[in-house]
Amino acid sequence: MTLRGWLLSLINVMRKELIQTLRDRRMVASLIIAPVLQLVVFGYAVNLDVDHIPTVVCDQDQTQASRNLVQALFAGDTFRDSGRVLDPQATEAALESGDAAVAVIVPPDFARRRARGDHAEVQVLVDGTDSVRAQVAAAAATQFLLLHGIGGNRVPRGPPPAHVRIQPRILYNQRLESPVFMLPGILATLLMNVTAFITAMGLARERETGTLEQLLVTPIRPATLLAGKCLPYILFGLVDVLAVLILGSLLFHVPLRGPLAVVALGSFLYVFSTLGIGIFIATMSSTQQQAMLGAFAVILPAMLLSGFFTPISSMPSWLRPVTLLLPMRHFIQLMRDCLLKGSGFSDLAGPLVWMAALGIAILLASVARFHKRLS
Amino acid sequence: MKRFLRRTRAVAHKEVLHIIRDSRALYLALGLPVVMLILFGYGMSTDMAHVPIAVADQDASSASRRLVQSLTAGGDFRIADHLASPAAARGEFRRGRAKVVLVIPAGFERDLVRRHRADAQLLVDGSDSTSATIAAAEAAAIAQATRFGRNHPQVSSGGGPPVRIRFNPALRSSYGMVSGVIVMILAMVASLLAALTVAREWERGNMEQLFATPVGRAEIIIGKLLPYAGIGMVQTLMVLTLGSWIFDVPIRGSLVVLFGSALLFIVSVLGVGLLASVTTKNQLLAVQFALVASYMPVALLSGFLFPIENMPWWLRGLSMAVPGRYFLVVIRGTLLKGEGFGALSHQVLALALFAVVVVVLAVRRFVRRLS
Repeated sequence: MTLRGWLLSLINVMRKELIQTLRDRRMVASLIIAPVLQLVVFGYAVNLDVDHIPTVVCDQDQTQASRNLVQALFAGDTFRDSGRVLDPQATEAALESGDAAVAVIVPPDFARRRARGDHAEVQVLVDGTDSVRAQVAAAAATQFLLLHGIGGNRVPRGPPPAHVRIQPRILYNQRLESPVFMLPGILATLLMNVTAFITAMGLARERETGTLEQLLVTPIRPATLLAGKCLPYILFGLVDVLAVLILGSLLFHVPLRGPLAVVALGSFLYVFSTLGIGIFIATMSSTQQQAMLGAFAVILPAMLLSGFFTPISSMPSWLRPVTLLLPMRHFIQLMRDCLLKGSGFSDLAGPLVWMAALGIAILLASVARFHKRLS
Repeated sequence: MKRFLRRTRAVAHKEVLHIIRDSRALYLALGLPVVMLILFGYGMSTDMAHVPIAVADQDASSASRRLVQSLTAGGDFRIADHLASPAAARGEFRRGRAKVVLVIPAGFERDLVRRHRADAQLLVDGSDSTSATIAAAEAAAIAQATRFGRNHPQVSSGGGPPVRIRFNPALRSSYGMVSGVIVMILAMVASLLAALTVAREWERGNMEQLFATPVGRAEIIIGKLLPYAGIGMVQTLMVLTLGSWIFDVPIRGSLVVLFGSALLFIVSVLGVGLLASVTTKNQLLAVQFALVASYMPVALLSGFLFPIENMPWWLRGLSMAVPGRYFLVVIRGTLLKGEGFGALSHQVLALALFAVVVVVLAVRRFVRRLS
């Protein structure tokens, strides 16, 4: 076939696919509007900042000293006053019912011991069911108590102990806003849905209804058919990237500090590889149900291991190399570094090369499988 | 009534045959929870460990070395690099070599001896806001607890102030993860599988045949719901067993409340899936609809990954309509806190209400007519 003939059949398949997709309004909604909706809800929901932790206080001392201490505790943003109780037992109940996540118990002899220069005890209970919040709460409470000279080791008489203060300074995301950090991950999952998920189910559906066989008896080659069916979704994916970046900067002040070319190339390579995953899943399944479950079996682990929710450095050492095989991991890293830190081509050569290599490998494998399934 | 039961059982039986015939889908539905649990438990750790830290020690004294040593002693931080000047910090962050940079200024030891206090600076890569918050708080607490100088004997870090963690003393993130995985897995597999069921009959033209029989709307919906509720219960049991076996997650509270609300929750998400299926009559669209209406809210608004109290008011309001939110409280309460029906009655009632409303809606939206 000549190049011209090949291009013509490619464009025809693309047109057919575009018309078929765009005719169904609900399909357009799930390709463009649903991702945008998810971004908005996601962006406002993902506030991982741990502050305003509900705290219940049991002040058994009721002196000026104890009241000052409690007041100082709520002066910052970390702890929120969620009530006072008289009985230390009641603090347990507050933790159990979830009314409070932290309980502070000031014992009856607090002021007296303090005045004598003795070791004053204040007890802090932290609800450990949410481990992230508990970690922050425990560290903040420890720091607070030490700052007020409570706890620690018995201080020997003599000069006061020397203290070291560490002053944190945050770079790149000064207000530690979660949306800024989460947006690349949200984008990665949205693209995965639009490309891998919908392609896998769409191809499985054509097989179920038998329209795929009809197309294959035409002179169009299988590879051309596949390319023509997939290219529109690359287009939808890139439109989504643009929409998410614009909305992200309007609603959540997500910056774009690096070159736009890196974002564009990275997105293209990523969508390329997720499409490959979609086709691969489609070749493995004969019904839409299987395709859907298969897509989930791939997307979910990828999402969890990509560093989207938890840092890759916290994963066990045997799991960390596995994450290198996930296009999503490289895409998220690329977007975070490029958007927030302003990293350019030279800093991000690694992720770009990884994504290109993975994309080509997956696509070749799935085209080979597609051919085999048909013959 | 007797007829209703018999017809419902017939529809359920047909659906069970469907499920068993397509064994691959069944394996996936039962295998996914196991994979998720293991990944969540091992991979999704927010436990602070080995945060790479670069040190720019401009003092190079015994006190500055003591500070660095006490930061790395507990295993929270790991030395990734030594920098000649703080100016190299940005390069370190951009290449991703370190997440925090400790800058100890010249004169650190002198200040400590003369004024009994000294300052050091911690530069934090804020692009990962969770890790950054925890790392900064952790480092500050460690520095405060460190004793310097000859007068004061070196102390172990064990003698901190009396902060006690309840319910999960080792702060294992796997405890929270197991409860979250149950909610996520049920919401996902149940709602998505249910989304396919009715739409599949429409797509394949079986609906006409079903309408030719005396089976009614409610019988079809409930009959389709039952087998998947069974799968959901098996999944719950599997995740709980594995959770307590691999991750030592305790079960301290009432099992009856736990499984009762699991069933209510499963019916709720199945109902959402069926509603999607009945409305769209198209498998691909029904799945997308169920994703947006059931799986996403449960993942985002249930309080599993993101604390509800930090959300804006309109999302907090929206989260009241997410059944996963109530179920998560029930799971955490019964597993970790040892609670029974008394403390959790509100949540159980909310789940029951949601389940009934959504199933009734699905039945009513189901038009028994060919277009």
